[in-house]
Amino acid sequence: MRRLLYIGLAFLGISCNSDKDEYTPIPDATENPKLEFIVPSNFPEPTYDFTLNPPTEKGFELGKKLFYDGKLSSDGVISCGFCHLQDFAFTHHTHIVSHGVDGALGTRNAQPLHNLAFMKEFTWDGAVAHLDKQPIVPITAEVEMNETFASILKKLENEPEYVKLFAEAFTDQKINTENMLKALSQFTVMMISADTKYDKIERNEGSVFTEEEQAGFDLFSAKCASCHEGTLFTDQSYRNNGLPIDPEYNDIGRKRVSGLETDIYKFKVPTLRNVRLTFPYMHDGRFFTLRQVLDHYSDGMVDHETLDPIFKDLENNTVVGIPMTDTEKEQIIAFLETLTDDDYINDNRFSEF
Amino acid sequence: MIKKFIVPLFVCITLLSCKNDDDSDNGAGTLNLEFTNIIASESVVISDKINYTNKSNETYTISDLKYIISNIVLIKTDGSEFVYPKDESYFLINEKDSNSKKLTLQNIEGAEYSKIKFGFGVDQSKYPLEGANFVPTAEENDMIWSWAAGFKFLVFEGTYTPEGGETDNYLIHVGSHGEKLDNYKEISIDLSQNLSIKNQATSSVTIKADIAKILDGKNTHSLQAKNSIQIDPDNAPKIAENFAGSFSVTKVSN
Repeated sequence: MRRLLYIGLAFLGISCNSDKDEYTPIPDATENPKLEFIVPSNFPEPTYDFTLNPPTEKGFELGKKLFYDGKLSSDGVISCGFCHLQDFAFTHHTHIVSHGVDGALGTRNAQPLHNLAFMKEFTWDGAVAHLDKQPIVPITAEVEMNETFASILKKLENEPEYVKLFAEAFTDQKINTENMLKALSQFTVMMISADTKYDKIERNEGSVFTEEEQAGFDLFSAKCASCHEGTLFTDQSYRNNGLPIDPEYNDIGRKRVSGLETDIYKFKVPTLRNVRLTFPYMHDGRFFTLRQVLDHYSDGMVDHETLDPIFKDLENNTVVGIPMTDTEKEQIIAFLETLTDDDYINDNRFSEF
Repeated sequence: MIKKFIVPLFVCITLLSCKNDDDSDNGAGTLNLEFTNIIASESVVISDKINYTNKSNETYTISDLKYIISNIVLIKTDGSEFVYPKDESYFLINEKDSNSKKLTLQNIEGAEYSKIKFGFGVDQSKYPLEGANFVPTAEENDMIWSWAAGFKFLVFEGTYTPEGGETDNYLIHVGSHGEKLDNYKEISIDLSQNLSIKNQATSSVTIKADIAKILDGKNTHSLQAKNSIQIDPDNAPKIAENFAGSFSVTKVSN
């Protein structure tokens, strides 16, 4: 009788085999509490739809592990964090353009990562319309991580730690592209930088500008804030700011995305938060100091059909840029330094180690 | 004593856990869905020696023809729908790979169907990660614009020669770009006769794509006028519209 039962069991075991791919119960699956996303009181509503991908403890942990894992690249070395260093507001410190596998060079400067939940589009030309899809660009770019998703998923499946984390982070427990991208977003979407001196003043938390910073703030509000608008310090538009074309890259900017001739040489207005840390500046990292940037706006612009009209005297059809004296430039830079968020760059939640 | 209980208990649990997978008696069958790419009633040939002629008096050869099909839905004679599981409903049709043109759809609800609906491309209008798990397949087949993290819905390439002109390459890549340029299309076509799906049986439907319509559909496109369509807010939507109108059902076997 017992023998029959065992034979029966063996049959049942076989008939159940087809389940294997779909559901692997993890015996020690733990609780996975949701993370609270708190919108700073001086910030606008986020653009990210949290209902589609609510960040959880395990999802965040998995996303962080992926962010700092060189396995996401073909040579096993270049992680997301390789070009996005926390100490420099997640930019590639001193590197003009991002570096990739086998010493390859990209064509654009790595942008800072912070307040991504409030951004509408991503990359310098807005090629990516949603945060969740953004990692596809650097992961698959030959000059960046040069890897395929099929290969990454295979590597992750072979690591018990990933098997466990994916199972804990997602109800379907699967290691797949969708969950991988969701986890990366759960990590990066939580990166909020909102504790600068500027924020503490804007929120009336007791800080005050020095005289020089105040003068700089007034100048900034008059001369820069029409594009570097609001508390995010960007209106998220694409503009040609009169940079001479670098023949090495001849980067056509927004035109690549829209296909429109009227968008040639236009790039996204970047946020200026943590700007003291995020040098070099511009889409191709051509300027190393804030002073060089301001010198460009006062004296270095070249005309072009798509140059933003804001920089022109339209009646006389001349380029006027943003006239500033040396003192004014120093004052503006003093103000820009109040946008540095030391708490953010030291926040252990986002640190590799 | 304990063993006596445990073994039957285990059998019960195992039986329960298997119940959901047992589809032998729910009337579900299999549908073989075959795509054939044709021009002027002949199967398309990928070759630099076979010339086709378009309405702009240009001859052209085809070196690559690939497209993404998604969101397959079968519509019953009473108007209700059977939706093939969305996650498993992404397919790459590659003219160079004959296996890719034969889709085997399992576990189709037993019923009489009179229409089929499917998508051209990937519909990301509601959910940004829609089709994300199709990324590895799309990547392997070079159906991704990696710099824009977007799917190419259609890749159509080859050479063309205008009347009395020089031969040149053409390249048509159509996809969606952000919210502004959505080239996803839903295609709904009547079946040439009712499809009946029966318990554990296999039926088949052949869908014809008239490839000539990519250039000469609702809109006529001259390759000489524009031989490279990639990120193109004017021409890509026209090609997508043309291609969406190229499908018909030629055969149903029950």
